[in-house]
Amino acid sequence: MKRKAWCGSAEHPVSRRGFLGAAAAGTAFAADMTVLDGLKQQALAAELKRQQKRVILLWLAGGASQLETWDPKPGAETGGPFRAIQTTVPGLEISELLPKQSQRMRQTAVIRSLNTKIADHGGGYRLMETGRLPEPGVAFPHLGAIIARELGRIDSHVPDHVSMYTSTEGRRKGTAGFLGARYNPMFLTENMMPENIRRLESISQVDHQDRAALRDFFAEKFSRSVDSAAVASHGSAYERVRGLMASDRLFDISEEPQAMREKYGPTQFGEQCLIARRLVEAGVPFVKVARAWWDSHGQNFETHRELCADLDHCMSALMDDLGDRGLLENTLVITLGEFGRTPRINGSLGRDHFASAWSCSLTGCGIKGGAVYGKTDEKGATVVDGEIGAADLFATIFTALGIDYEKEYMLGSRPIPISDFGSSPVEDVLA
Amino acid sequence: MNDTLKITRASQWNQSDILFCIARPSGSDRIYVGSSDFGVYEFDSSAEKPERVRLEGEQHQSYVTGLALVGETLVSCSYDGQLIWWDTAERRSIRTVAAHDRWIRRVIATPDQTQIISVADDMQCKVWDGVSGELISLFTDHAETTPHHYPSMLYAVAASPDGRWLATGDKVGHVAIWDAGTFEKVGELETPVMYTWDPKQRRHSIGGIRSLAFSADGSQLAVGGIGKIGNIDHLGGPSRLEVFEWSSGTRRFEIEDDKKKGLIEQIVWHPSGDWLLCAGGDHKGFLNICDMQSGELIAQEAGDGHIHGLVVDAELQNVFTAGHNRIERWTLGTS
Repeated sequence: MKRKAWCGSAEHPVSRRGFLGAAAAGTAFAADMTVLDGLKQQALAAELKRQQKRVILLWLAGGASQLETWDPKPGAETGGPFRAIQTTVPGLEISELLPKQSQRMRQTAVIRSLNTKIADHGGGYRLMETGRLPEPGVAFPHLGAIIARELGRIDSHVPDHVSMYTSTEGRRKGTAGFLGARYNPMFLTENMMPENIRRLESISQVDHQDRAALRDFFAEKFSRSVDSAAVASHGSAYERVRGLMASDRLFDISEEPQAMREKYGPTQFGEQCLIARRLVEAGVPFVKVARAWWDSHGQNFETHRELCADLDHCMSALMDDLGDRGLLENTLVITLGEFGRTPRINGSLGRDHFASAWSCSLTGCGIKGGAVYGKTDEKGATVVDGEIGAADLFATIFTALGIDYEKEYMLGSRPIPISDFGSSPVEDVLA
Repeated sequence: MNDTLKITRASQWNQSDILFCIARPSGSDRIYVGSSDFGVYEFDSSAEKPERVRLEGEQHQSYVTGLALVGETLVSCSYDGQLIWWDTAERRSIRTVAAHDRWIRRVIATPDQTQIISVADDMQCKVWDGVSGELISLFTDHAETTPHHYPSMLYAVAASPDGRWLATGDKVGHVAIWDAGTFEKVGELETPVMYTWDPKQRRHSIGGIRSLAFSADGSQLAVGGIGKIGNIDHLGGPSRLEVFEWSSGTRRFEIEDDKKKGLIEQIVWHPSGDWLLCAGGDHKGFLNICDMQSGELIAQEAGDGHIHGLVVDAELQNVFTAGHNRIERWTLGTS
């Protein structure tokens, strides 16, 4: 199987020209830690941002079983009780626990050859959220923060990094790391409406508008007399806060027609997927919906019968809805957890942590639907073809979104590529 | 705990697969087991080094989860939704019936051995002619989804020794009792502690009623499963037995055991009604004897692996168990 070491997207040549043109013109750039990135940013990102690409990450917290989802091994000693079913893609079979997904595989690519080696929840999470191993003294940004940085708009009136994780087990907030607080997630934990986003009831709408107008008046007057980036940033922050306050309705699914709510169903995961669609439709570039808790050390098959039904229904509803609205071609849906589960079935009919040969799926934006990359052996114990790690997956995700996966951020004088050194995208799953 | 009764492991035969069910013709050394390799096997328990023999012919396509004997005919059920009739003399399958839309959890024979009864995750209980395999009736009192909108499961079925009653039990702890002649519902019980729904930490469920057994006179119904589980990643909850005077809905006993945790997978009443034997486990197994006068656990033995099924000889001296990677023989006696 081929993997390419360069970005072959249609945008790339144009972007390179834009980049070179911008550099030749000697454009002045803001002196911040991403100054080199800034060279590209001006020329490249403007084009990307126009395209309004977005990501929804369905995070299968705790580690879903690849054998009960994307890489079934019916009849194998390790295969469990469930059958494989034929999908709409000839020759591609997935678990019978995903019957609705089986009818939508023309839009989805499956990677069956992740070998990420780290099989503890914390370590696996850090790896699969950042695409690299941790290093002392460096706070690497999570995928959502990078996407927000690359695809978000400075002048956006909606949040650009939203993370929903309402179960408490394995709850991890995510961080923008060295990218700074601007790209930290809006983290929803206790309920699905952001806290403190609404106007205080003690302040009337008229008062609220009057205060904003007064603030604008003084801010404009002040900024005319003081030429300072800090002042501009302050003004931008206020604009953003006002935008976020106005976006609370995006989290309110009661605004959706009842028929649409029924399509997603009554489960929390379904309602969060519906919110995710509302958010990306409004221009939010990255939304993570974490569905806990797949850690099935006991009764793996019962657990997957329950959770796969939820995943199958909600993911299918989301794909259909995005497709119907013309959003799927610009929205990448990633289904991923921190690792998979052991082929060995333990004494409690469970499967334990396993990072040596597991699967994920990519749907929509930039993805070759129906593609299958990688292969595991007959028991699902090892990768026998197309082995990739977390960094390669990140390179694939970035490339699918039209982001140069070799792009570098500067942390002081240290260049840090957005996907780790030595990584390359999986060409076979890219459109 | 008194020591009147004692359970002792007599033999252990290690296997490479997971054995979910066991059946034994009365007075025979042969036992039959259903396997995770989709096969049904005959096993000679009298042999010094017994080798099991796979029954031939049409095979299941998934785990074999239940076995029932009707004379010389063995009926197996599977996650594949099929029932297969086997001629034990010929060691061959003789009939395959597409019985349920989803996974069949248990199959039993009526005491007169004329009918076969199956329960499955389509939440249906179906009654079959034991000889012809014709469907006689189907009924349910079990919701397809849990209160939290996920698929439910119908794990357990039992027939009273006199053949008058049937009982079915599901994941959320609901039991329905049926007239075995008319298939009309005649009673129901609730055992909600058997079902653990974790809405906060892990947001999924575990547990369920895994076993049912009527007392010899049919007046009492024992319900087996697991108590409330804290960390539902594991089966780390107390084994739980509830015993009812089912016609009045009176709960006689709740017996939870934290020492040997896990699911009670099967229950056998002593004909006198004085005690009952139950077996199951988490990653390890257990055999418990509970006194039905005091409602106390009076004998217990640990198994090396989870026990999925058991069969007891007519004299109540030998117990054969099938479980994770092993078949075992145990003896019951007084010390």
